[in-house]
Amino acid sequence: MDSVSKYFSGLFTGIGSLLKGMSVTWKELWTPKVTRQYPENRETLVVSDRFRAELVMPHDANNEHACTACGICQMNCPNGTIVVTSQIIETEDGKKKKILDTHQWDLGMCTFCNLCVITCPSDAIKFDNNFENAVFTRSKLIQKLNAEGSKLREKKKEEKPTAEAKPVIEVKAPVADAKPVVEKEVIAKVKPEEPKAEKE
Amino acid sequence: MILNYSQPLELDGVSKALDTSLSALPDFWRILIECVLVGVVILTTYAVIALILIYAERKITAFFQARYGPNRVGKWGLLQSVADTIKILLKEIIRINNVDRFLFFAAPFFMVCASVMTFGAIAFGKGLLAVDFNIGVLYVTAVSSLGIIGVLLAGWSSNNKYSMIGAMRSGAQFVSYELSAGFALMTIVVLTGTMQFSEMIEKQQYCWNIFNGHISSMIAFVIYIISGHAETNRGPFDLPEAESELTAGYHTEYSGIQFGFYYLAEYLNMFIIAGIATTVFLGGYMPIQVHGWEGFNQVMNYIPSYVWFFSKTGVLIFLSLWVRWSFPRLRIDQLLALEWKYLLPINLVNIVVMVILVLTGLTLTDLFPSLF
Amino acid sequence: MAQQVIFFILAIIIATFSILAVTSKQIIRSATYLLFVLLATAGLYLLLGYNYLFAVQIAVYAGGVMVLFIFAILLTNRPGENIKTELPVRRIAAGITVIGGLAFCAHIIYWNIKRVGELVSQADISPVKLGHTMLGTGKYEYLLPFEVISILLLACIVGAIMIARKR
Repeated sequence: MDSVSKYFSGLFTGIGSLLKGMSVTWKELWTPKVTRQYPENRETLVVSDRFRAELVMPHDANNEHACTACGICQMNCPNGTIVVTSQIIETEDGKKKKILDTHQWDLGMCTFCNLCVITCPSDAIKFDNNFENAVFTRSKLIQKLNAEGSKLREKKKEEKPTAEAKPVIEVKAPVADAKPVVEKEVIAKVKPEEPKAEKE
Repeated sequence: MILNYSQPLELDGVSKALDTSLSALPDFWRILIECVLVGVVILTTYAVIALILIYAERKITAFFQARYGPNRVGKWGLLQSVADTIKILLKEIIRINNVDRFLFFAAPFFMVCASVMTFGAIAFGKGLLAVDFNIGVLYVTAVSSLGIIGVLLAGWSSNNKYSMIGAMRSGAQFVSYELSAGFALMTIVVLTGTMQFSEMIEKQQYCWNIFNGHISSMIAFVIYIISGHAETNRGPFDLPEAESELTAGYHTEYSGIQFGFYYLAEYLNMFIIAGIATTVFLGGYMPIQVHGWEGFNQVMNYIPSYVWFFSKTGVLIFLSLWVRWSFPRLRIDQLLALEWKYLLPINLVNIVVMVILVLTGLTLTDLFPSLF
Repeated sequence: MAQQVIFFILAIIIATFSILAVTSKQIIRSATYLLFVLLATAGLYLLLGYNYLFAVQIAVYAGGVMVLFIFAILLTNRPGENIKTELPVRRIAAGITVIGGLAFCAHIIYWNIKRVGELVSQADISPVKLGHTMLGTGKYEYLLPFEVISILLLACIVGAIMIARKR
């Protein structure tokens, strides 16, 4: 008798749970779909700021960058993706100075580990969100990051604009963390971003 | 029963006109031409329905999974299945070493032939019935059972353990569930007293079989739908091709159009199961009609019968997809327990109940002769 | 004429595949060839207008028995292996059996060939009449043989359970 009642109760609870399952999927059928239609929504596309798509070297309005050609990024790159070539020039006051010749980055070999950006002492490079990097030949993947005719930003004189420009570049938050040498003012401006960056 | 309402959009006039225009020819040529025409029409319908089904399945599946589904090829992705077909036709048929070549090439044809032969017996609309056997139901159950041979041979001749296991599972599953599908259909044969599809449909003009035999018919319907899904290796019963365990089951080694045959047959079997369930339980191509409501019946009759058939079938196909995306895949022992411990005993009791209902006059048409 | 053409096609299929079924060295191929023979036989029934017999032939032999055959073959040890040629004594014995069987069949066909014409005219029996014939108790009605066969099948099922059940 027990097994008989078990059989029937099993049967009916089984049917009940099947119907419940079907009601769940029925609701799912009518939920609004959240899939983003990529090429059509280029205008409204939202990409996370921390997304690392492409290494860039920001230049300001005077076509000046912050790269001192120290080569730390090149040394830290695990894949040998970055090749920094520099040249020694003589300044007006007779000092010898190392300036950047080319900062070459190979997209095809990059693993986007962010080590170069973290270790850069002068925040000269960063990753930005432009992810549409597909090209037809491999040689095009090797990119020169410093613009034609650009030069190093003079340190003392350009301190203020750099600091103001920085908060716009939110990606810099972890960089500030790793680099305590930066002036206090800069840290103060960047600080509010930090907890958010860590949470993410 | 003849419907004496005007039905302007019916297609049965076309076949009659064709028949009269060919009557001048000698018998041999007339039969030959008609057979070839019917064959061409059936094969074309087969392929077109497969295309539509593949699109519908992908779209509905996507909506169940909170996606959009194919939407790149053509408007709303409407041409997606056409593109897929072209791709599958252009693909290379890979010749595999150490397979039994004859059986390997013959197996897909079994599958697709069985499916086409069953497809040919479906009544798509008034006058759109290729063959009207007086043993229609039996014919359908008999012919659809041939497909499994294709699966078994494919599994064996592929010389691949996954294919083999898939084929064995499929065989066990098919042999078991064919039984309950047959019994469920027999229950309705008891109710209608005929095995001929056209007669069966005409008897359901006012009262569909699923309502006519109330309790018994409902149970038979549910059992038929379940075992139909199991027979066609769909829904939660797709363990012969369980991709997580067996790569693709019995058609692992097939490529190109040979795989296409299996794919086609699978989708068409889904349609066939839905179509036969429509014919047997839901009144086939008959429009919804209520005894005595002449105006309503007239309006319903303006909708051509094939539209009725395809919409009813479409509802059942949707049900099949709904089930498919609701439940997880069964294990082989659960599958066999479901059949032998639940469906078959219930079915056997059900058929006896149906006999009692018919003999004691408890069907709806007997109880309320004025309504139906 | 059309019937003749179809008959000859079916006859050729039956003859070819029967020979292939017995000469093939792989058991699974033999089974497949046998399946073709059974299907073509079903085609013959259809040609004669025996719809019911056609459906039964397909359901029982092609769909049922052959599936079980193939299933059983798949469960055997090495279904794909070529069978070794048997001893000459066995070959001769098999040959004699074949000739005997052939003679027996030829005899039956020879003496019954005239009755075929009568049988064909009775084609397309309705399922209702068939049911009454099979389950009736009157003259030319076959309830007793039908039930006896069902008892035979029941015995088979009981036997199968006996063999398969756990000790």
